[in-house]
Amino acid sequence: MITPEDVAFYIKNIPPAPSVVRQALNFVREGDLIKAAKCAQEDLPLRLYLKTLVNRPIYGFKNEVSDIGQIFGILGVAATQQVLYNYLLSLLTPKKWELFTLTNHQFYDLQASLSKQWENILIHLNIKDKEVYSAISLIPATIIVCNALFASKKREVEQLRSVKALDYNTILKRLSGYDLFDLAAEIGQMWDMSDKTIALIRSASGTVSDLVGEQKVLAQWIHLLLFYVFSQSTYVSAGLNEFIDFQIDFVDDIYDSFSRVVQQ
Amino acid sequence: MRAVVKGRIGIFHLQGFLDGNNAPSFLTLDDIKATEALNIDMLLVSLKKVIFFNKNGLDVFVKLLTSIRNSKHITVGFCDYDHKKFQAINIFYKNEIDFSLFKSEKIAELFVSSNKSDPKTLLLYNEDPSQRSAMAIELFDYGHNPIIAQSFAEFETKKKTPDLYYAIVEDTQLGYFGQKIATRVTGNAIIYTVSNFLDAEIGNTFNIAYHTNSLNVGFRLFIFDAYKVVSMNIHALNFFTKLASSAAEYNAAICFVGFSFEKTPETFKNDLEDAGIMFFNTMDDILKNKELLQELGGGGGATVKQNRVLNKGLINELSHFIDATVSTLNMMTNAQATKNSVNIQSLTIANPADQFASSIGFYGDIDGLIILIFPKTIAKKACELLIGEGNVTDEEILDSLAEFVNIIGGRAKVLLSENKRRLDITLPRTYSDMNTLMEIAQNKKGVQVDLSFEGQNFIFFLTR
Repeated sequence: MITPEDVAFYIKNIPPAPSVVRQALNFVREGDLIKAAKCAQEDLPLRLYLKTLVNRPIYGFKNEVSDIGQIFGILGVAATQQVLYNYLLSLLTPKKWELFTLTNHQFYDLQASLSKQWENILIHLNIKDKEVYSAISLIPATIIVCNALFASKKREVEQLRSVKALDYNTILKRLSGYDLFDLAAEIGQMWDMSDKTIALIRSASGTVSDLVGEQKVLAQWIHLLLFYVFSQSTYVSAGLNEFIDFQIDFVDDIYDSFSRVVQQ
Repeated sequence: MRAVVKGRIGIFHLQGFLDGNNAPSFLTLDDIKATEALNIDMLLVSLKKVIFFNKNGLDVFVKLLTSIRNSKHITVGFCDYDHKKFQAINIFYKNEIDFSLFKSEKIAELFVSSNKSDPKTLLLYNEDPSQRSAMAIELFDYGHNPIIAQSFAEFETKKKTPDLYYAIVEDTQLGYFGQKIATRVTGNAIIYTVSNFLDAEIGNTFNIAYHTNSLNVGFRLFIFDAYKVVSMNIHALNFFTKLASSAAEYNAAICFVGFSFEKTPETFKNDLEDAGIMFFNTMDDILKNKELLQELGGGGGATVKQNRVLNKGLINELSHFIDATVSTLNMMTNAQATKNSVNIQSLTIANPADQFASSIGFYGDIDGLIILIFPKTIAKKACELLIGEGNVTDEEILDSLAEFVNIIGGRAKVLLSENKRRLDITLPRTYSDMNTLMEIAQNKKGVQVDLSFEGQNFIFFLTR
């Protein structure tokens, strides 16, 4: 169905980050938001994306924010880096979603929702590391990769799933040795994300054994956050609730704290 | 979301959070229609991967389950939960639970008919004595051996030796009894347990689809365990005589055991005997009499006198069945299977040792039986996508082989529907011993296709 060669071909064809975004990201990493904003200003689609994203209800601004410098200033270094990665990911979204009943508008809402909830979680965990902050941006890449690899295999997967509750992530892992989180991490590598961010993306599947310390805690929170968001009506209808396997035991010990954070 | 069907059970596998807002999104109209069309005896919702649920969320599924139970007379409910979730459901619905609750899928499987013939020893406890008895009776009727703990203290003591039991049945309760007549398999015989007064309702509670499936996959002896039957009326009499006529087409035998005619007209017995039904006083009169068992067909297919022959319709569609098999194997393994030879012959297995087999029957515009015989290593490889890598038991491989032929059956159904041929498939059956398979298949002529996969041979056999 999906061979290791198909996966290798996909990895080979991951597009590099456009130079303007790459430059803006470099300035953000140095903490220079003014230069980053000037740089971002030059890219019209990026400008439009930032404006649309930041003015989504989940960000809670009363008046429309349109100046890029102002947007970066409000967001701060960590969130700006995260938003730039979100933009890069938006460049990979398909024109038409074939596997999931999803629109790009809903996908951007999903990105915004994950980013905002992740920010609340990191405040709760008292973590200020901008690399950790950015990790959430790459998680929706799993949805894009899944759509790209499985869109033409929908019927075969349906037949498999009529007899066994298998998710796309498990099917891919068993057939190719890679899972969707590995492929999201490959995208992160292509875009020069830090090793820490990439390791965190890989561990968010909830199936990586031997996780310890902060990496385990963060992986648990991302995993549960994913299922919290994927349980919303829009994403259940889109088919996202079933595309990866929920490792309920992996997140069991953080559930109570998680409920308190998301209900704030 | 579609229910996953394993044997006679359909299960919705939910994940994450379930509340009144998102629950309706799990089921589209198409999903509901597809669920209603399933040929199953039990429909469940698994709560294994649900980390949060509330009553509003459950209510959406309870509504669907209740409507399906009322129209199809099947068992419905929830499964796969821990003690905390079990208590929550009981609190939500208090004394109004009219659906069933099974602690695990494994426990639910004990309460439906299957093609497996191994009785299980179970430890059973429920604080409600009527639930305890109802479950014990059902488990017994399905051929199992329930050990009932009469008190919580006794249960706790017995629970300390879990190795003695196949499963410990706790935090489980039966809802309204919408289920079909209990069915169990003993060797090559199928035993149906009937009780009380038999009337027109038998048409609803007897699972005719399962019975037809069983005939199609090669069962030839059907025994009605009628110790608990008080009497029957003319509608039940008509039902059994019709059943006997259809069984005759397959040269199958139908027997009644333990039926006292004290309160039933003697003419009924004569009519049933004229239809070909036989009567015995005890189950041992049949099951312990090997000669009789052979004669009746319960010893295997060797005594079947009228083998149904291959026909043109089946041969014309052969390519579809082979395509379905080869493409399923390709899909599941990413490796190519190649066809070595095609012959019309009786089933011939060169090396019967270390082989596993599975079969699935089909009926409709054409009817027949597909049998696949694999070396154990290839069977495991073919099923790796379903079971994962690593150490797996023979039972797990056989279960996955059943799923594997189910997919083949499903694909063949789709391929044939493109030619406007309507097909239904039976429950799959698996064999770890080729002697049992040969008892059913040895006298049948069919098309044997020898295929090879990763340097080893396997057999596809299509027959009627």
